[in-house]
Amino acid sequence: MSFALLLAAADGAAPNPMQPNLWVAGTALVVFSIAFGTLYIKVWPIITKGLDDRNDKILGEIKGAEDARAQAKEALAEYEQSLAKAREQAQQTIAEAKAEAQRLGDEMKASNERELAERMARAKADIESARKAAVADIHANASELAAAVASRILKREINSADQATLVAEALGELDGAGV
Amino acid sequence: MLSNLLLAADTPLGHVLNRKSMWSDISWVGEIGDVASLHEIMLVLGGVLLVLGLIFSASRIRTGQESEGNARYVTRGRLAQIVEVMVVYLRDEMVQPILGEKQTRRWLPFLFSIFFFILVLNLMGLLPLQDLHHLFGLHHFLLGGTATANINVTATLALFAFVAIQFHSFRELGFIGWLDHLTCGLMKGPKGLLLVVPIVFAVEFAGVFIKPVALAIRLFANMMGGHILLATIIMLPSMAQLGLEPGGGAWFGVSIATGSFAVALTFLELFVAFLQAFVFMFLTAVFISLMSHEEHEDEDHDVDEVAAEVAAIH
Repeated sequence: MSFALLLAAADGAAPNPMQPNLWVAGTALVVFSIAFGTLYIKVWPIITKGLDDRNDKILGEIKGAEDARAQAKEALAEYEQSLAKAREQAQQTIAEAKAEAQRLGDEMKASNERELAERMARAKADIESARKAAVADIHANASELAAAVASRILKREINSADQATLVAEALGELDGAGV
Repeated sequence: MLSNLLLAADTPLGHVLNRKSMWSDISWVGEIGDVASLHEIMLVLGGVLLVLGLIFSASRIRTGQESEGNARYVTRGRLAQIVEVMVVYLRDEMVQPILGEKQTRRWLPFLFSIFFFILVLNLMGLLPLQDLHHLFGLHHFLLGGTATANINVTATLALFAFVAIQFHSFRELGFIGWLDHLTCGLMKGPKGLLLVVPIVFAVEFAGVFIKPVALAIRLFANMMGGHILLATIIMLPSMAQLGLEPGGGAWFGVSIATGSFAVALTFLELFVAFLQAFVFMFLTAVFISLMSHEEHEDEDHDVDEVAAEVAAIH
């Protein structure tokens, strides 16, 4: 029963929630105007600038990272290009060295062969001249020996004309013998 | 206990209605007029808290000195971080897709001021300040109540929205463009449609005023309705005393059930406090975007759909 009385008493005093109240509306107008004006000057520019600064910073960092990445990629490409060029140069140098070695080897071989041939020719000539000298000596000694033998046999001196005749005959015999 | 206190003090409606505060008892204040009601006290207190809280947050969000290095871009403090998260989300995900970057920069201060103003008043209304007065035996209140559950407050805020919308429309469209917009461009269309121009104009012109009125009533009704429901639920155990044996099993069961439901409902009210602040701000942004140049006409249809969806929530 006490509840019902309380409820009735309160209901009787309750104002209409839709009732206009200019004091409340005016207070809301003034309070929001002051709050909005203060926030407009003191808060939102600072917050938006802070957020923009951070946004710019992040975008700048991303751009910097992208630039660094592009530069690194470019440097890597340059390095790889240089490496390929160096490899090519090394290959070329090796090929040139091989060609040079081959050329020097060929030249040395040719020179050696030429020198060998010359030496052989010279040796042959020396042998031939030695053979001829030996034959000449043999001829001379043989003629002297023959003359001495003949003079002893004949007990007379063989003059130079006889000696020449005898030598010629002896040489003819020697030639015929193949000495 | 709280239930009895509520019951002793008010009806559910009386709990959320505006009433005189203890300050009205001061003679010279009372002579001025009805300047010290609870909702007026909460308006002033909310405005002060809002300004101080946001100035504090802005000082923490502000870019620091260069000597701080990268740390100067870091927001310090939980309040500032919460404010920043809300600002960034609402700006990038909600307002900017509707208004575009240029108009967002122009209208961000107004839209976010009205959002945080309503939010602070809504949240302050969730504090059981009047009930604490009862708890300490005081039946004249220093402060308490939900200012946004007062139609005069919401109507004033809607008036600001109305001025903003019309200021934007005249600035963007001019008077002729404004008239053209209210006739949906039919003046330039086929002559056969000229007959419906007065009807379209009347409907659109009424819409100019209906939109802010809808804003005011939506916020007022949601805040008042939620609080009435919450107060009613909390009063149920005391009401149950009339029909059930006090302290008995049935009464105890009703108390537990209604208490649990009231806790759940309070969380819902917390959500509604944010939602209604968002809806007011968002619909204002939508209405501003609707009064833009012709090149936004295609976007307007999308905006209309979004606005209809948001309005359908409540």
